[in-house]
Amino acid sequence: MAVSVAAKARDVVGQNVHKVDGPALVCGKPLFTLDMDVPGALVGKILHSPHAHAMIEAIDTSAAEAIPGVACILHFGNVPRIPHTTAGQGWPEPSPYDTVLFDRKVRYVGDRVAAVAATSEEAADEALRKIRVEYKVLPAVLSVDEALAPGAPVIHDEPDAEGIYDAQRNIAAAVDIPVGDVDRALAESPVTAEATCEIPYLQHTPIEPHCVIAYFDEDGRLVIRTSTQVPFHVRRIVARVLALPMSRIRVVKPRIGGGFGAKQEIILEPVAGALALRTGRPVRIAYTREEEFVASRTRHPMRVTVKLGAGRDGTLRAIDMEALSNTGAYGTHSLTVLSNVGSKTLPLYNKARHLRFHGKAVYTNLPVAGAYRGYGATQGYFALEVAMDILAEKLGLDPLELRQRNHIRVGETSPIFEKIGEGREGKAQIVRSCALPECLRIGAERIGWKRNRGRRRREGPWAYGVGMACAMQGSGITGIDMGAATIVMNEDGSFRLLVGATDLGTGSDTVLAQIAAEALGVSVDKVLVYSSDTDFTPFDVGAYASSTTYVSGLAVLKAAEDVRRQILDVAAAALEEAPEDLELSQGAVRSVRSGRAVTLADVGHRATYVVDQHQIAATASCVAPESPPPFAAFFCEVAVDTETGLVRVERFVAVADCGVAIHPKQAEGQLEGAVVQGIGHALYEEMLFSGRGRCVNPSFFDYKIPSALDVPEVEAILVPSEEPTGPFGAKSIAEVGINGPLPAISNAIYDAVGIRLTRAPFTPERVLSALRSRTG
Amino acid sequence: MKIYFELNGVPQYPEVEPGESLLQLLRRLGMKSVKEGCGTGDCGACTVLVDGRAVRSCIAFAARAQGKRIITLEGLGTVNDPHPLQEAFLDAGAVQCGFCTPGMILVAYELLSRHPDPTPEEVRTAIVGNLCRCTGYRKIVDAVMLAAEWKREGRWR
Amino acid sequence: MRLTGVRRFHWARDVEEALSLLDAYHGRGALLAGGVDLGRSARTDLEGLIDIMGIGLSYVREEDGRLRIGTTTTLTEILEHPAARRYLHGALVEVLCRVAVPPLRNMATLGGAVVSAHPWADIPTALVALGAEARWEGEREEHALVEELYRQPFRAVFRRAVLTEIALPPWNGAFAFEKLSRSAGDIALLNAACGVGIQDGKIAWARVAVGATPARAERLTWLEEALQGEAPSDTLWRQVQEEVERRAKVGDDRRASAAWRRSVAGVVVRRAVARAAERAAR
Repeated sequence: MAVSVAAKARDVVGQNVHKVDGPALVCGKPLFTLDMDVPGALVGKILHSPHAHAMIEAIDTSAAEAIPGVACILHFGNVPRIPHTTAGQGWPEPSPYDTVLFDRKVRYVGDRVAAVAATSEEAADEALRKIRVEYKVLPAVLSVDEALAPGAPVIHDEPDAEGIYDAQRNIAAAVDIPVGDVDRALAESPVTAEATCEIPYLQHTPIEPHCVIAYFDEDGRLVIRTSTQVPFHVRRIVARVLALPMSRIRVVKPRIGGGFGAKQEIILEPVAGALALRTGRPVRIAYTREEEFVASRTRHPMRVTVKLGAGRDGTLRAIDMEALSNTGAYGTHSLTVLSNVGSKTLPLYNKARHLRFHGKAVYTNLPVAGAYRGYGATQGYFALEVAMDILAEKLGLDPLELRQRNHIRVGETSPIFEKIGEGREGKAQIVRSCALPECLRIGAERIGWKRNRGRRRREGPWAYGVGMACAMQGSGITGIDMGAATIVMNEDGSFRLLVGATDLGTGSDTVLAQIAAEALGVSVDKVLVYSSDTDFTPFDVGAYASSTTYVSGLAVLKAAEDVRRQILDVAAAALEEAPEDLELSQGAVRSVRSGRAVTLADVGHRATYVVDQHQIAATASCVAPESPPPFAAFFCEVAVDTETGLVRVERFVAVADCGVAIHPKQAEGQLEGAVVQGIGHALYEEMLFSGRGRCVNPSFFDYKIPSALDVPEVEAILVPSEEPTGPFGAKSIAEVGINGPLPAISNAIYDAVGIRLTRAPFTPERVLSALRSRTG
Repeated sequence: MKIYFELNGVPQYPEVEPGESLLQLLRRLGMKSVKEGCGTGDCGACTVLVDGRAVRSCIAFAARAQGKRIITLEGLGTVNDPHPLQEAFLDAGAVQCGFCTPGMILVAYELLSRHPDPTPEEVRTAIVGNLCRCTGYRKIVDAVMLAAEWKREGRWR
Repeated sequence: MRLTGVRRFHWARDVEEALSLLDAYHGRGALLAGGVDLGRSARTDLEGLIDIMGIGLSYVREEDGRLRIGTTTTLTEILEHPAARRYLHGALVEVLCRVAVPPLRNMATLGGAVVSAHPWADIPTALVALGAEARWEGEREEHALVEELYRQPFRAVFRRAVLTEIALPPWNGAFAFEKLSRSAGDIALLNAACGVGIQDGKIAWARVAVGATPARAERLTWLEEALQGEAPSDTLWRQVQEEVERRAKVGDDRRASAAWRRSVAGVVVRRAVARAAERAAR
């Protein structure tokens, strides 16, 4: 639900229109990557390493190649070695170039050894079985502590890698950013608190696993139809890896079955492209669910320590945050996720003058971590918000009040904005919109904070408690993220909106159509959206960093304003009046002076066929001018079975300020979905590994994500603010919601039974063992 | 081997392999709404109705379609003439990426055909085996409740 | 899923035909009931699949207080059958509605659950506690308590036989089922099915089975005996919990440790026994 405020009168923005791609989706139309049948397509499959760390001594593909139907086998011996990163990020790329398509060395169980293309699944499977690989198994590093130990095996000893912080010590990236003198401030603070929180390997589990089809168009250009969040980065990185001119590649993003960051990675596209180029035939590759777990990407497992220092009045003086991040076998997003742990958390409590954020991202012989919704902030908030709860207790202060005293407000800033950016320095900014005070008030009221907290209500073995947390995120990456949009007017007064922005299920096509429709004075059905085809839509960095509504939305708004001016010019000529006297709304241009009007259909027809014929159209770009943070307050009630350790989330209230919600229902959906993913992180999710680095639970049977019965009806409440730099006052909503559940649930468990859960997930086993060790 | 079955009301006589799955057969026949999310029957994206019962087509044998009436999402409604359940999913904002939607709608269809007046808890119980990673389920439950209301009002065909 | 080795698919018309087809494949054929486990498997050793859903084994009957269920009856069909719902005031339904999820219950059969007998499964635990009897036809007709069946190399038996019926005896008392799992629809981390009969305020008989320990269900006969003649009380239940925690045979797997299972085994059994006693006293 949305709390209503006296908002500006708007026709389309703020309306819950049907999703523009909704009718086709609810009817099951063939919209997704693999729903297109490409005649003659070969089946591509990947041979994964069975070892966590090994050198390939020899590879013999002769038996596999002899299988009828096998068209091609690629491996390190027959594919050029081009170091790159699989992270789909802007340029210059902040992640190290430590990956090649096929390497002589394998660095985790699941690493790519070879790829096969064959005429059938069966032939491809048989070929995988018959490729003979001789490995020299190397000692493996299966934890960050082992990786950092003196004399640890070096995971990236290849000479051609670039951009690794310290390859010899297995450190992919490192950050140390001090503001003021944190050690002294902590030492001098009358009250301090500390928490170390840990997040394990977590997988995004989009219901559609990674998949791709590579084929050739009529002109022999390589077309890559792929389930991606970053079509333009796919084109750039595939061009690099396959040494093709970018102009020979077209990337098409159809509908995407969820991504959450996992598809901000270029994993299968270059393999499919290489197989297609080698065979001259179309190739499709679909990851199985098991491969999705093991050989796509995960959240960065992390251990984060937060030390807080405060005055007796509860004003924070110092925050020291240290993160030890496990980037797995490759360093994709290693530096930027690490940076975000601090950059998206520390500004929230800007009353603290002395800050330090430091940390390392470390290589291990485990699956590759990458971008995952929250992008480090989730890990940071877990520790920060648990530490805040501890601090509140030490101060004898209500945790709600502690937040209220310390959070950032409109007109304020934090030095962190300037100090930490996307793998380099950031940009100073002030907060121009912040409804966090309202979010806190409404959320506390809704959960019955004053009434329920500290009550330790019991019902048989069940103990009840409430907990809370706050969070912020950003809206795009300042000065780096660029989105562009083209709007073309049709002769009947409808419009085509072409955007590089990538709707991966979030509903961004609809939001962008609403922004265009609002600016052009038409209903959404008059705006036909085409998104993400590198041949037909203008550039956009893609869907990540909570950027689309804000950055791509601003581009759409600029393009629409340009088109609107062109429309007014044509209408002015038709009406023989001055453009300044004209108003565009409800599909027509009216003169405020004479009251005369022309419809948009008249304008389109006139410009196309009648007088001064020309195409009414505009392209506009937007580089994120700032990154206005959305804010959220989270409140939950949990029940703990004190006899078994089972935790149930009874209620969850998430109150967010995403500026003006362009599509409130979709914004709520983002919040609800993010919270439920966070509940999954808190209660069930964890990839488990054998002593040799093999993931032992790579299936939904074993790796549990929440089902409809595992979560309460999340109460998602939007508290509007007006972000002056955003399109129609909007900022982002996609990620902020996932930062709250881990600390809020941990804090609620503490309220219920007095134990601090600092290692996720909070399994019955961990809860019970903490309960037992407390009672002795 | 050749089998006979009825697919969305239309007789089919396809050639099937004895070891292939119903999912593979249906997708081969153009029913692309039938999604493969896990291949092990755990996620529910491949759910179809066989003689009115929701089953997991990814772990069901195609040969077993013999003599059955099978309904996929394509059989419910069209973009220009959607089924009320499909409309309800749109109205409630129950679709994000849409990959779980076909299975979700068909499970809801089975529920409402047997139990037209469910509580939200009963809806959650019915969809418990269909995983959605986007929505958090709340709006899916809303959609099914809305469709149930429409059904009781006689708005279903 | 695609079982690549499979060459033939048969629709058996009766038990006899199913058996002769099975025999003809010399171990390279498999009976297909609900097909959930086979469909999830990646078996490449099978050449023939023999569908037994049409051999007349889908039924639920009440006879002399016994509940007789044909083995190809799906879990949903049992859940919806009035006789099954009545049985022991819903004791069977209480178990089945916590097994897997609805679309899988639409496919899975009772016989499949008995034959697959996953150690973590709920149905074997319930059937062991309930004293269910299994009937099968191979070279001849045979029957045994499910509990006894599981002490034999039962997988070998069903490579050459068709499980035809599960019969549940009447009990003058009540049962209750408890299951601990990570999430709804998940398999058990531990489960327990317990039954109690009450006469003159005292426990006349007790049945206790604990499963997913992580091994398959076993009865705690020592506890059943100890409970006889006792009067239900909170003190008794506390003793039950302590004794089970002390004596339960539990182990580790990747889902839970032996230590946790030990701690909660007593809780789960106590809850089930107490609930059964409460029902029985009604």
